[in-house]
Amino acid sequence: MSANSMSDPRRQNKIFRYKPPTTDSNPTLEDPTPDYMNLLGMIFSMCGLMLKLKWCAWIAVYCSFISFANSRSSEDTKQMMSSFMLSISAVVMSYLQNPQPMSPPW
Amino acid sequence: MRSCLLLLPALLLLLALPDTRGRYNDEFDDGEDLAEFDDNDFAEFEDVSEDPTVETESEPPPRPAPSSSPVEDDEDEATVETEDGQDEFEDADAQDQDMFNKYDQEEFEGYESKSNPSFKDTLIYREVPAHLQNSWESYYMEILMVTGLLAYIMNYIIGKNKNSRLAQAWFNSHRELLESNFALVGDDGTSKEATSTGKLNQENEHIYNLWCSGRVCCEGMLIQLKFLKRQDLLNVLARMMRPTCDQVQIKVTLNDEDMDTFVFAVGSRKAMGRLQKEMQDLVRQKRDCLVLGRNWKLTFFILLISFFLCISVYLSMVHYIVNHADKIESIHFSDQFSGPKVMQEEGQPLKLPETKKTLLFTFNVPGMGNTSPKDMDSLLPLMNMVIYSIDKVKKLRLNREGKMKADRNRARVEENFLKQTHAQRQEAAQTRREEKKRAEKERIMNEEDPERQRRLEEAAQRREQKKMDKKQMKMKQIKVKAM
Repeated sequence: MSANSMSDPRRQNKIFRYKPPTTDSNPTLEDPTPDYMNLLGMIFSMCGLMLKLKWCAWIAVYCSFISFANSRSSEDTKQMMSSFMLSISAVVMSYLQNPQPMSPPW
Repeated sequence: MRSCLLLLPALLLLLALPDTRGRYNDEFDDGEDLAEFDDNDFAEFEDVSEDPTVETESEPPPRPAPSSSPVEDDEDEATVETEDGQDEFEDADAQDQDMFNKYDQEEFEGYESKSNPSFKDTLIYREVPAHLQNSWESYYMEILMVTGLLAYIMNYIIGKNKNSRLAQAWFNSHRELLESNFALVGDDGTSKEATSTGKLNQENEHIYNLWCSGRVCCEGMLIQLKFLKRQDLLNVLARMMRPTCDQVQIKVTLNDEDMDTFVFAVGSRKAMGRLQKEMQDLVRQKRDCLVLGRNWKLTFFILLISFFLCISVYLSMVHYIVNHADKIESIHFSDQFSGPKVMQEEGQPLKLPETKKTLLFTFNVPGMGNTSPKDMDSLLPLMNMVIYSIDKVKKLRLNREGKMKADRNRARVEENFLKQTHAQRQEAAQTRREEKKRAEKERIMNEEDPERQRRLEEAAQRREQKKMDKKQMKMKQIKVKAM
């Protein structure tokens, strides 16, 4: 038994709890993609709503999807949902105002 | 003379006809003409019945067709008179046509030439607007967009599942080894008691954490499975241009007594270049580094060793490194690890950052992105190497000479740092002193009791005087020494 306890490296009395690494100490390690995409999505949806540009609204939808895919699980879902709703409302409003199909840029 | 007499009534007849037409035209304009019809009542009605036909005839070619319909109506209503009417109409028509041609030529010159060509030219066929057409084909851009979104969602689901399966496969293959070495395997830090959760913490759709603790020689070990962003379609497309691989990062934090003072780093050339720039401890140690060059067995490694004793570390691990060279990205042992260099706004930080004795390992998962769960088993020997190096580092001790050299180097680095930040620290100290004074003055002002106020003021004055005296003494001493 003593031999077992010698070879067994585990120590119950030496347990330290997990501390999530703080973002203040290493801001460079954090991935900024979801925040940037969120911001871009909001800007494009506002442009789509105000300037009645359909392509802006569609890009806003894509941005909010990308932001959701890259988001951390600790992030608030309310923020994600609000950006989704904003981009979808931008698309719907631009089609209600002008039901013509979108023309390609070429 | 007789011919003249015969011609005269004919002339009169000819002249009378335009007069009558003119009269009929003016009939509704002038009331004077009505007097002529009052003599014969029937003549009035006859004239009235004739009027529509005459009126229609009097209208020039602009409406030849419509004129025919009212004439037809009149013909339907008055059957007896129609024939007469028709005859009259025909005669009148024939007569009028003769007159007509004359007047057309004079009054309506160029009318025919204008009407038909211009009418045909101005006829433009417009396209029906696209949104009013009953076809989905015109909305092809929208269909493209929706298809793109659906493709993104599909890729998200598939990528997320693949990452999850890879993480689970890694954990299943390493669980036994970890549980035999650590008392606590898996902790998220939220539960009250320190019990093993026995599962990975999911930070992202592509990053999984595992905290292990409760072992001799170390405080704890944090394992991060940094997979590729398979859930993001943009990232998948970017990876087609520039392939990268999944990584496993292991960070072992040691107790203070478990490691001697040295810094050791081994890795691929690119990784070493990056570490040397980014990591604060390696940057500061740059002067002490020895680049051994290329070993014939390790052609793609560069070694940064701060002390010769570290060669023994390297030699003990060389068989691991040689066998799994393709999977090792970097190995970094440091007794003053403080993370990557933090760029601050004020220029340089005022204080040296807090350091921790750490062993860092970064491994590449084989497959270069196309990893399967079976590949995770190949990382098991590397985990054995990690456990082995934890035990080895504890036993490694510098000799006396090495220790002295290390301490001297460290002191030199610290002195340099202090010199560089001297001015900033002075400023910081000055601001602190001013703040203190201000706080004291405020306290004195806020004091209600005048007696106490006076006493506090006196005490502050005395303190100031003492400081001045001390300074003067120092200056005197310096002067004496100089002399």
